[in-house]
Amino acid sequence: MPIEITMPRLSDTMEVGTILHWHVQVGDEVSSGDLLADIETDKATMELQSFDDGLVESLTVAVGEQVDVGTLIATLLEEGAAASTESSPAPEEKHEANTQPAQKPIAGGARVSPVARRLAEEHRIDLSTVQGSGPSGRIIKRDILQLVATTSETTSAAQTTQISATEVVATSAPVSPAQPVKQVQALAPTSPWQQDRTEPLSNMRQIIAKRLVESKQTIPHYQVTMDFDMDPLIEMRKTLNEQLASASVKLSVNDFLVRCCALAMSTNPAFNASFGGDCILYHGPVNVGIAIALPEERGGGLVVATIRNADQKSLRTISQESAYLSNKARETGLAPDEMGDTTFTISNLGMFGVDNFTAIINPPNSAILAVGAAIEKPVVRGGELAVGREMSATLSLDHRVIDGAMAAMYLKTLKELIENPASLLV
Amino acid sequence: MMAVATAERVIEFRDALNEAMSEEMRKDNRVYLLGEEVAEYNGAYKVSKGMLDEFGARRVIDTPISESGFAGMAIGSAMRGLRPIVEFMSWSFSLVAADPILNNAPKMLYMSGGQFGCPIVFRGNDGAGGQLASTHSWCVESMYANVPGLKMAIPYDAYDAKGLLKTAIQDDNPVFFLESERLLSTTGHVPVEEYTIPFGQALTRRSGTDCTIISFGRPLHFCLEAADELAKEGIECEVIDGRTIRPLDIDSMVASVKKTNACVVVDQSWSFASVGSEIASQIHACCFDDLDNHVFRVHSDDVPTPYAHNLEQAYLPNSRKICEAVRQATYNA
Amino acid sequence: MMSTEFLIQTRENIDEMKDNAFQLTQAEAPGKEVLLGWLRQMLLIREFEVRTMQAYQNRLIGGFCHIYIGQEAVAVGSIAAVNPDDPIVLAYRDHGHALARGMDPKYCMAEMFGRIGGCAKGKGGSMHMFDAEHYLYGGHGIVGAQTPLGAGLAFATKYEDEVIKGGKSSHVTLCYLGDGALNQGCFYEAMNLASLQDLPVIFVLENNRYSMGTSIERGTSMAHDLRVKSEAHGIHHAIVDGKNVIDLYKDFKSIADWCREESRPFFVEAETYRYKGHSMSDPRKYRTKDEELVEESNDSIASLKNYLSEEYDVASDALKQIAQQVKAQVKQAVEWANNSPETPMNELYKDVFTDHWGPYAGTSKPEMLDEGGA
Repeated sequence: MPIEITMPRLSDTMEVGTILHWHVQVGDEVSSGDLLADIETDKATMELQSFDDGLVESLTVAVGEQVDVGTLIATLLEEGAAASTESSPAPEEKHEANTQPAQKPIAGGARVSPVARRLAEEHRIDLSTVQGSGPSGRIIKRDILQLVATTSETTSAAQTTQISATEVVATSAPVSPAQPVKQVQALAPTSPWQQDRTEPLSNMRQIIAKRLVESKQTIPHYQVTMDFDMDPLIEMRKTLNEQLASASVKLSVNDFLVRCCALAMSTNPAFNASFGGDCILYHGPVNVGIAIALPEERGGGLVVATIRNADQKSLRTISQESAYLSNKARETGLAPDEMGDTTFTISNLGMFGVDNFTAIINPPNSAILAVGAAIEKPVVRGGELAVGREMSATLSLDHRVIDGAMAAMYLKTLKELIENPASLLV
Repeated sequence: MMAVATAERVIEFRDALNEAMSEEMRKDNRVYLLGEEVAEYNGAYKVSKGMLDEFGARRVIDTPISESGFAGMAIGSAMRGLRPIVEFMSWSFSLVAADPILNNAPKMLYMSGGQFGCPIVFRGNDGAGGQLASTHSWCVESMYANVPGLKMAIPYDAYDAKGLLKTAIQDDNPVFFLESERLLSTTGHVPVEEYTIPFGQALTRRSGTDCTIISFGRPLHFCLEAADELAKEGIECEVIDGRTIRPLDIDSMVASVKKTNACVVVDQSWSFASVGSEIASQIHACCFDDLDNHVFRVHSDDVPTPYAHNLEQAYLPNSRKICEAVRQATYNA
Repeated sequence: MMSTEFLIQTRENIDEMKDNAFQLTQAEAPGKEVLLGWLRQMLLIREFEVRTMQAYQNRLIGGFCHIYIGQEAVAVGSIAAVNPDDPIVLAYRDHGHALARGMDPKYCMAEMFGRIGGCAKGKGGSMHMFDAEHYLYGGHGIVGAQTPLGAGLAFATKYEDEVIKGGKSSHVTLCYLGDGALNQGCFYEAMNLASLQDLPVIFVLENNRYSMGTSIERGTSMAHDLRVKSEAHGIHHAIVDGKNVIDLYKDFKSIADWCREESRPFFVEAETYRYKGHSMSDPRKYRTKDEELVEESNDSIASLKNYLSEEYDVASDALKQIAQQVKAQVKQAVEWANNSPETPMNELYKDVFTDHWGPYAGTSKPEMLDEGGA
């Protein structure tokens, strides 16, 4: 390969240069440091020296010609290169051999038509598993639609964060074996209700799709699950609700969890933080978000309501706010300042009988707690087998902010608060 | 019933053009017609038949074979607010008038800072007539549509010919109106009642789900023919008539392509730097994530128009070429 | 309608035609005040052009710029011979005609500066002066392109007067061209149509003897006898002295009145000379310094000053005063132009269509712009 010499930038503002004189001719031997040419810049006439040894192969810019900085002006042949140029086919062959494999379609870089790529995303089909029928194996719309026509997905309770329930993410954290895996079911081809139909996305569905895809694709998620003994908390809740019934206080388990999570956040600041690209942003206020599923008649979907400064609020206040926001979200919708600014989110499907699940982080949070139902199960207490109420909760975490041990610490704090609920009152 | 009778009135394409001009000339005496053989000869293609008798030699004006001169003269008169209709016997002959029609008419308003507009219609036969060979078979749309400041309409049938030409005459800007010699004798429904067709609004001439075919003017007939053929193979095409090239109703075209995910553009001019390539580019930009394949184009072949009948037929866009393009675009080749 | 038997080829022939009642009438010579007004106009044009050159060299004016110095009498005398609402259209050496027609020099200068205060909002520049208020239908940049437009303007006035108003044609259009346009085909198409359609248009040839660097003898056949150019179309031809504004006016007045009355075209050749180059970048290597000195010694402005001194005893102080007033006026025009704001960016997209379609953005339907949008 000849050495290419281009018009150098010889001043800070130089954009073009003119060759005033060539000090060499084609065929001359030059050594590093030899004068090659005089070049007129926008400021002055400058000397161009050779950085290499070799034979001048060509001068591509004539004297008096003005060219842009970076333009090829001459080529040098390296010493001994003259012989190798005659046998130049060898490197070319090598070059071809290098590029050929790259041209073959491989799974990761499979050719996919744009609409097929979009449809695959919508139907959560892994393109690497699809055999393309188009030219050069291009995956086309038809290939995706055929796959969709022969499979269907179980989408129970899809209006809430169960979007994530169908996704099992490889992670070091324990995942319950009961986690539902994508279920595939052949469609009976004749039933009219099973015919395909499309519905345009509502604004909310578009936002959910966009934000959660973004979250799932950009945040390195992992999950950590812990079981909690709920007996003390449920007992205390029962007592409080009985004693305060006349004051219209009706605390939910979730209200306790909001306070527990908030208090645990104030002692584990990484849980009240966001990943900021080149920094970690630790938030001042502790704002806990509550995922609220919206009723079908309001178009479905979900919103996250904000309990601001939850670590500084009493159970009673949290309860009042939470009830107010839930009702308002379901009936008329929330105002912008009633959602957003969250620093942590709780998604609770316990009321639907779900025992555990994982959730997708609600950006810019760095964690979300997926809460299952408190259910009676055989437990060992003090060495004795007994019936106790236990709740399983799974944290999804942004590994860029929170490492596994920190997650464990947080869950430990949470466990202490939940299992010793008197501390929540004082 | 009268309503039924009028609704079913069927006239020739050329008579629709004549009606559009005559109606506008009756309404507005600033409108006049000039061109070669438009008056005493009644029009080389009989489009202006009878107009000399009705409007007289002052308003229906025979010109010598002098396109540069009479086009320029008409533009000068339009600068003062007259509304000339310039008939080019063929758009092929407009090339000798390139300076006035491209350098003056579309730029006058801009160059004069809005002081002098140019309300003028240039109209005539565009495209291959039938074995007229290269000099007389120009499709000027791609070359002329490049110029800002002009509008361009291409009617598909008699109904559109009248409605679009009336809009053209009423427009305050230069309008290039491209007719087809091969369509002049075709007949179609044209109501007695006055109507106009707005510019910049495409029409779906056939609905379908598998591939969008976009075209203008005469080639639309081949597109519809191809769509019938393809339907037998189970490929349902949506055929969009753009109606005007400038302004271009890209929104309607995009909406259709988003539905079908495949697109073929049929443009009777040559392919290089053409209306077809422009539309393809816009579709690619607007529908990138909706395309199952790149946009296919059907044009006249990239050679001068041949004389020999068989060569000319092979050269022009036709149903066979369109079918092939659609099959390829939909991976059915 | 017109016989072609009577062809004019020299000033003597014009005088003969004036003696003949069938043909041209003898126009009255203008009085002192009118002549002082013309002097002021000619001085204004010259001073304006000097300052134009200066501004160009200071890079305040861009593009092509053509200077009218030397030819002032043609614009002033011919425009004085027609009515203020008679249309005018011309080529690109157009500053002088714009000023002679009444355009305020500040608008003319601002146009060349490319500012919003320009007569075409800075969209046309030196070669494209348009002024609807003064019936100036533009300078036009393509050689000869204005000649069919001139025929069209005459067609329009005739159509308006006769077809729309139902009266008699009562306007005459002045369509100027340089000797370079003599070799453009569209000029002959324009003359042919003007003759066929009996259009009241005067094709005013400003023969300054050079089309850019090519002398008329080198570029035009029959350069010694240009009457044949119009004779072929049955259009009368006359030669007028482009250096003598009084004679030029009288001849033009006679011709314009005849064209108006008869609704016929005319071809008038004004012999003149441009003192400066074709454009600002012209080194004038194609002609001798001696030739230029001879031409400049017969200067229309100097002649008119002499005439005013000798015939009307106008004092040299009074003439100087006019010159000073004109200088001040042009200075103000340059300042005004320089202070005029740059043409705003939104003008880029205006005036493409009357209904504000556009511009065409490449991937979308043109946006309907706000201002005046339909």
